[in-house]
Amino acid sequence: MRFKACSSAFRRFPMNGFATEPPKGGTTNLSMRIVLLGALLVFSARASLASDDTFAQAQAAYNAGRYAEASMLYEQLIDNNVANVAVRYNLANAHFKNGDLPQAVWNYRKAWQSAPRDPDIRANLHFALNAAGAAEPVPPALQRFFQTLSQTEWIGLAVGAYIAFTLLLILGLSIAPAKRTLAKLSLLPAAMILVAAGGWWNWRELALNPEAVVVKAGATAFFGPLAGSTAHYKVPLAAIVRQRGTNDKGWLEIEYDGQRGWIKEEYIRRVSP
Amino acid sequence: MVASAFAADVQMSVEKPLISLLDRTVLKIEFIDTQGDAVDIPDVDGLNIQYQGQSSETRIVNFKSSSKIVHNYIVTPTKVGDYTIGPVVCTYRGGQKEVSTQLRVIKPQDDKEAQQISEIMFSRIATDREAPYVHEPFDLDLKVYIRDGVQIDGNFSLRGGMPESGMEGELKWEVTGQDRTDRNGTIFNVYTLHTTAKTLTAGTFTFRPEVQVNVVVPRQNRRPYGFDDPFFGDFFGRQETRPIVLDCNTLDVAVQSVPTELRPASYTGGVGVFDFDVDVAPSQLKAGEPITVKMRISGDGNLSQITPPAIAANHDLKLYEARSLPASNPNEVRFEQVVIPKSDSVTEIPAISFSYFNTKTADFRTLTKGPFPVTVEAMPQQAAQVIASIPSTVQQKTEILGRDIVYLKPAPKVWKKTTDIVWYRTKPFHFALALPALFLLAVAGATSKRNALANDVARARRQKAPKAARKNVARAEQALRQNNEAAFYEALWYTLAAYFGHRLNLAPGEVSLPVVLARLPQEAAALESLFNTIEQRRYGFHSNGGKSKDEMKSLLRQLTATLKKCERIKL
Repeated sequence: MRFKACSSAFRRFPMNGFATEPPKGGTTNLSMRIVLLGALLVFSARASLASDDTFAQAQAAYNAGRYAEASMLYEQLIDNNVANVAVRYNLANAHFKNGDLPQAVWNYRKAWQSAPRDPDIRANLHFALNAAGAAEPVPPALQRFFQTLSQTEWIGLAVGAYIAFTLLLILGLSIAPAKRTLAKLSLLPAAMILVAAGGWWNWRELALNPEAVVVKAGATAFFGPLAGSTAHYKVPLAAIVRQRGTNDKGWLEIEYDGQRGWIKEEYIRRVSP
Repeated sequence: MVASAFAADVQMSVEKPLISLLDRTVLKIEFIDTQGDAVDIPDVDGLNIQYQGQSSETRIVNFKSSSKIVHNYIVTPTKVGDYTIGPVVCTYRGGQKEVSTQLRVIKPQDDKEAQQISEIMFSRIATDREAPYVHEPFDLDLKVYIRDGVQIDGNFSLRGGMPESGMEGELKWEVTGQDRTDRNGTIFNVYTLHTTAKTLTAGTFTFRPEVQVNVVVPRQNRRPYGFDDPFFGDFFGRQETRPIVLDCNTLDVAVQSVPTELRPASYTGGVGVFDFDVDVAPSQLKAGEPITVKMRISGDGNLSQITPPAIAANHDLKLYEARSLPASNPNEVRFEQVVIPKSDSVTEIPAISFSYFNTKTADFRTLTKGPFPVTVEAMPQQAAQVIASIPSTVQQKTEILGRDIVYLKPAPKVWKKTTDIVWYRTKPFHFALALPALFLLAVAGATSKRNALANDVARARRQKAPKAARKNVARAEQALRQNNEAAFYEALWYTLAAYFGHRLNLAPGEVSLPVVLARLPQEAAALESLFNTIEQRRYGFHSNGGKSKDEMKSLLRQLTATLKKCERIKL
């Protein structure tokens, strides 16, 4: 045991000519942590500066009309795990200006899922779909309501309502005279929890029945999952469709403009997570 | 008991093995007493075979059941001839089978010459502009030729064949005319469909519309019950329609981009042939008062893409943003701009130029109106005019023109990473999420206990019993240390009285050996000994003084041990 402890100490503090005795473990750990934290801060600051720089270059390329270059730079940011909605939205703009409508719509829709109330995203998505001659998805009223907040916002609302609900109940238990009033008040956060659960489920359903954008020209929805099946309807390039089913031969059942049909997987690119 | 007595089999058949060119039939692949997926039918030149879906059927005959899964395909001929459909290999549970079937297609009854559908009906598309410019509207005419004698229901639907992208909006086709024409000695009814197209980008746009018409043909299945009289005709639905997609030529339209050379500075995106009018009012006003400049652009072209012509900036003029006005005429667009002269030195509103690309002459044209003379009086000295205030005409809601996408977003203040863990997926959050619920449970438990104790005296006293006993035991220990026998035994008695009084919910005077024994018979011997000994010592029946301290200690141990045992007994 002693030998083991000793050897592990040597491993942690390699001997050098100046070392007379091993430093105390607690102090060293703390200083190492501080160094690591500092390194991490420096690294993240440099990464942030690099992102700023790339973003500025992309904006400059866009403003100069070099849309392909702007797209590449925005995509570079996304490849570097940047998750800001502004980058996704600007990338969509660059694709649109570059004439690549499917990629533009795909990125607008992706951005919209993170920021569903952003008027710029909604306006540009509407414009891009109109330019593509594609029908805009029109969800029912309840679904539209649930789409006013993003999934994260609904979770935040649910957590807030849950805390308010428990606090009101705790107060109701502790303050006997106000028990009834507080119990009635607690119904409000309880209802909010239910609504937030509905909102969360609305976005969760996107993972179960994902949205996709038609990225290949000539997409035709068939009545059955078979190449020789009767053509049902044409799906315009850049149209947003909703996946409703799948089979193991690479066919997807989609819904577009209220009509269902089967389409080959290669024609679409999935938007939903 | 119903039993299945049929062997699994696969069969292919056509509903009608003999049809005419304008007819169609249903091809069936039947999986009998087994299951199987639809199969791809190999292409047959002259036949169009399309999968329609599946149906299933179960029959019970003489208590024996038979089930069938049928995959249906619609077969539409495009040429006359004898055809073999298949062979195709059908895989089913239990094996494979190669199946095929025969079909004969003959000429239609009313047309002895046509060998193909495309000889009976077809469509042709043409345009008035072979090489239009971006945003320039161009006409598309689609003519549908139907051989005289063939009846259609008059509905035309375009199933595709249009450019997938780059077009501005969806093409709206309208039937604009019907005519008859002679084509190689055959009379055709010609239906003309018209639309106007505009493109968003330059490049070659290919049009090959797939026009579907519904041909009216006599119903094949005659009624067997005596209504086969021409009198009843369509009243009983003796006719039905067959959808047929027409052959069409390919039209390539090479759309040119608007040249960048010699493009005037005042060019605002107009492509077409336009007129330009400007109206300025009022022409007499005081400095700081608004002048409304109304601009009207009319003509043929991409009116919706034109942005307002600019008024030259002047330090004596304050210019507000131009806004679009609703126009009653679809061939014109109107703009309105408010201009405020800041001083009486303004004598005119500068000339306004509108430049556009003329598609007829293939060059840029500039139309200039003005300058417009105005008389501006100086403001009275006492009143300082706030030039920046927006006149009421400008305060109206600005119309969203929607001619282009919204601008870029600025750089974010904080860079988020996809690798960042979302707050609601962290362990501390999950832990913290449980805290309010746990706290609520704790408060609920405490409140419930408090309420229970408030309503149940016996239970409340029961909980006080150990504490009361410990207090008196402490007094006894103190008396023992002081060698005060009287106080010691007194304390022991009070220990018993306090403990059992609380434990058994008795009044202080009610604690006696019989009462305690009645409730706690398990410790009868120990309790009897304790009660008797303490009572004897308490009232002075001491045996001897020398042994008393050890005896007292022993008695105290016995008391605490007995009380601990009693504490564990459930009543």
